[in-house]
Amino acid sequence: MRHRVVITGMGWVTPLGHDLQTVWQRLLAGQSGIAPIRNFDARAFPTTFAAEVKDYQFPAALAAGGRHKNISRATFFVLDAAMQAWTQAALPEPRSPQHARLDPFQIGTYLGSGEGSLAFDTFTRNALSSWNRQAEQLDMPTWGRLAMQSFNAMAEIEQEPALPINHLSLEFNACGPSLNCLTACAASTQALGEATEIIRRGDAQIMISGGAHSMIHPFGVTGFNRLTALSTFNDNPRGACRPFDATRSGFVIGEGAGVLILENLTHALDRAAPILAEVVGYGSSADAYRVTDQHPEGRGAVMAINEALKDAGLTAADIDYINAHGTGTKENDSTETHAIKVAFGDQAKHVPISSIKSMMGHLIAAAGAVEAITCVLALRDQILPPTANYSVPDPECDLDYVPNSPRPAKVRTVMSNSFGFGGQNDTLIIRQFEA
Amino acid sequence: MRRVVITGTGAVSPLGLTAQSLFDGLKAGQSGIDSIKAFDASSFPSQIGGSVPAFKTTDFVPKSYRKSTKIMARDIELAVVAADNAVRDAHLATRGVLEAFGGNVPDQTWFTPDPSRMGCNIGAGLICADLNELAEAMVRAANDDNSLNLARWGKSDDPATPSGMDALAPLWLLKYLPNMLSCHVSIIHDTRGPSNTITCQQASAGLALAEACRTIERGQADLALVGGGESLLHPMGLMRWTLLQMLNTTSNDRPQSACRPYDVAAAGTAVSEGAGVLVIEALEHARARGAHIYAEISGLASCAGGLPLGEVDDRGRPLAHVTRRALADAHLQPGDISLILPPASSVPRFDLSDALAMQTVFEKLPAITTGRGNLGDSGAATQALDLVAAAWMLERGQLCPTLNCDNPILDMPMVRGASRSAGIEHVLVAARSLAGQHAAVIFSRYQEE
Repeated sequence: MRHRVVITGMGWVTPLGHDLQTVWQRLLAGQSGIAPIRNFDARAFPTTFAAEVKDYQFPAALAAGGRHKNISRATFFVLDAAMQAWTQAALPEPRSPQHARLDPFQIGTYLGSGEGSLAFDTFTRNALSSWNRQAEQLDMPTWGRLAMQSFNAMAEIEQEPALPINHLSLEFNACGPSLNCLTACAASTQALGEATEIIRRGDAQIMISGGAHSMIHPFGVTGFNRLTALSTFNDNPRGACRPFDATRSGFVIGEGAGVLILENLTHALDRAAPILAEVVGYGSSADAYRVTDQHPEGRGAVMAINEALKDAGLTAADIDYINAHGTGTKENDSTETHAIKVAFGDQAKHVPISSIKSMMGHLIAAAGAVEAITCVLALRDQILPPTANYSVPDPECDLDYVPNSPRPAKVRTVMSNSFGFGGQNDTLIIRQFEA
Repeated sequence: MRRVVITGTGAVSPLGLTAQSLFDGLKAGQSGIDSIKAFDASSFPSQIGGSVPAFKTTDFVPKSYRKSTKIMARDIELAVVAADNAVRDAHLATRGVLEAFGGNVPDQTWFTPDPSRMGCNIGAGLICADLNELAEAMVRAANDDNSLNLARWGKSDDPATPSGMDALAPLWLLKYLPNMLSCHVSIIHDTRGPSNTITCQQASAGLALAEACRTIERGQADLALVGGGESLLHPMGLMRWTLLQMLNTTSNDRPQSACRPYDVAAAGTAVSEGAGVLVIEALEHARARGAHIYAEISGLASCAGGLPLGEVDDRGRPLAHVTRRALADAHLQPGDISLILPPASSVPRFDLSDALAMQTVFEKLPAITTGRGNLGDSGAATQALDLVAAAWMLERGQLCPTLNCDNPILDMPMVRGASRSAGIEHVLVAARSLAGQHAAVIFSRYQEE
C-alpha cells in the first residue's frame, strides 16, 4: 500500500517578500516584484531588470552558531524558507529537547536547487590577469598560481548544487533520504513529486522539499540574454512579463526559494499537525525533441499532465485550477495552451489558468516550489491569483487566464505545471485534505 | 511490485571507452591516472589526473544529431558515449541506434522499446564553463586593472565590434546546464518517460538508479537509462579539489601509485572524468524480449550525514545506517553479501570512517574492492563506474583487485594482487558525497523464481 502525503508547512523568500502572508496578499493584489537590477550593474545589458529578492535580512537565529558560513545566496533563501515551513508545521525547534526525540533518519530532504553564483570578481580578475594576448588563450600556470591564492575553498564548494540540502540536513538534523535534482525550470516541481514518492513508499515520514535558485548575476543574465529568452521591455519592468498575452516577448529572471514540509498522513495526524493540503498526483516526462525548443505539440507536457492525472486517479474534469508554467515567452505559452487543450479536451476552456510569473518573475529551479505554495494558498482561501499584465488576446492562447484580477472560486483540486529547458516536464496535483 | 534487472552497461573512463575496457582494466590492475595533459597544470600542487582516451562524440550520435554535439560540454559528451555503449549492450534499437544501423536491426535479438515507457535519470555535477572561451569574450571588456567592465561586457562602445557577451555563442548557457546530460541522451535515444538529473556529487548515480528503479517497480516505466557523468579534469575542478585538500600532492612523479584507497599510506585522490550508464528494466519486460540479464537490483537506500561540509562521522554512522537500510530493503543479512564496493576516497579520514562503518555492520567482512586506485575521483561519474564494475564482477564471477592498497587500514579484506574467480551472490555498492549524501545499492545474482 502507498502512504498518503500531506503538506503541513510552507515558507518562501521571494521577490514579493519574505513571508507567506505578505507575498500572497501581494500576488492577489497583482503587485509586481520586478524592478531594475541591483545585484550588479546591468545598465548596459540587453535586459536591465529582474525579480530580485529585495531588502533581505537572513534571520539572526539561523545565522547564530556559525553553521552556515560561506553559503550562496540561494542557500540563505532556502534555509529561511525551510525554517518558516518547519515552524508552520509545528515541528520542534532544532536543537531543542523535543527535536532530539525525532528520528533523524525519518526526516529527508529533496530540493530542486540550482548552482551557487561564481565568486565573480575573483573569477574574472584571475582570467583577465592570466590572458596571454599573443597566444590568445589563458596562460594556465599564471591562472593556476592566481587561483590557488585567491579562491576561497569553502565558498567554491558551496556552489555545488548539493550544498543547499547539506545545510538543511545540518540545520534540522535531517538524515533521511537526501537528494537534489536540477532539471532547469522544472527542478523543484520534480523534487516535490519525488519527495512525495519517498514518503508514499515509507522511506521517510517527513520530507523538507522545494527549491532555491539565483541566477541574477552577470553570467546568468548573459546566458539567458544570449538565448534571447528574456523580456527586454527595459522601460516597463512591471509590465514586462506578459504570460499568454499577444505582446509577450520573454521571461523575467527571478530568484528565491520555496520549501514545503511533506508528511506521511498518519504521522501528521498522530502529532495533530496542521494539514494544509494533500499531494495526490505527480507526473514526469521528457520531450525527447530538442534541447533548444519545446516539442511543438507539447508532447512531453501532455504526457506529464496525463501521468499526474492517472497517478491521482482523477480526470481533467476534477481539476479546478491550473497554475501554469506560463513563462511569458512566445513559445512556452502557446505550447502550454495547446498541451492543456490536448490533455483536457472540452474541459480546457472551463478550467481557470494563471501564471504568477507575471508578478514574481521566473525563479528558475525554485519556480515550481513557490507555485506549489501558491496552489495550496488558493485552496485555503478559495481564491485564484491573477495573470498580471494581460491585455491583448493571442489567438493561440485562447483559454481562461484569470486576467489581472484575483477570482474567488470553489477550488478543491489544483494542478501545477513546470517545463524545463531541455525538455524535462513535471506536473503536480494538490487537493484539499479530506480525511 | 515489479522486479527490476540490469540488462545493459556502458562506461567511459580513463581505462577506455566501453564497460568492457573498464572491467578489463580493473581486472588487470591497470592505472588510468597520469600526468595531466588536458591543460598545463604545472603551477598546481597536484598535477595528475584521470583522462578518458581521445574520442569523437560525432561517432556516437546519429548523423541527424551531429550538429548538436557543438553545444555539449565535456560532461555531456561523456554521458552520451556511455549511453550509446549501454543501449547497444542491451540490444535496444532506440532511435539513435536504429539510425546508425541504417534503419534495420542486424538480427532478432534487437528490440525496439516504446519511447513513452523508457525513462532517463543521469546524475551530473557542477559543469564548469570553458575558461578560454569565457576569457576570450571577457578580454573585450577588460578594465586596465584586469577587472571586468560590465558596461562594455553588456554593450560595445564601437558598433563594428561585438560586446563581451556577444562574443559568446547564442547557445552558450545550454552547454553547461547539468540536466543536459539526461536531455541529450533522451533525445538521441528517444526516451520520453520519467526524466531527472540528480546532482549529489559522488552519490548521484546510486540515487539516480534508485529513483528510476522505483518508477519501474511502480509500473510508470519499463526501462530506464541511469547513471552519472562528470569531468573534474579542468582547471576549476583541480583548483576546487586542491583547496579542499582532497588531492594527492606528493606523487606527481608517480601518478600510477598516487591513489591509494584504504592503504595506510593514502594521501588523497586525483581529479578524473568519466560516465557510467546502465539500462535497467522490469524483469518481465526483459524476459519477454529475451534480454541478457547482468543482475537484479535488490536493495536501495539513501541518507544524509547531517554534518558540516567536509566533515565525516568519526564512526561512519551514516554509512553504516544506509548499508543496513539497503540490506533490509533487499531482505538480506550482512552475511549474505559477497563483495563490497565502498565510497573509497583515498583521503585518510574518510577512508577510516568507511572502514569503521563496515566493521560495525559486518561481523565478518566480505571481500572489498574499489576502482578508485585506478580511476581517481570523477564526481557524479564515480559511483556510476562502480555500479558498472559491480555488475560485471557479479556477472563474470570475478573479483577485481584494488590497485595501490598494499597495506590495508584496520586489516580490511581488500581484494589484492591478481583478480580471482569467486561466486558472487550479492554485491553492495555504497557512496558518500562530499556534501554528505549517501547512496547504497545492492545487486544480486538473477535467479528465476
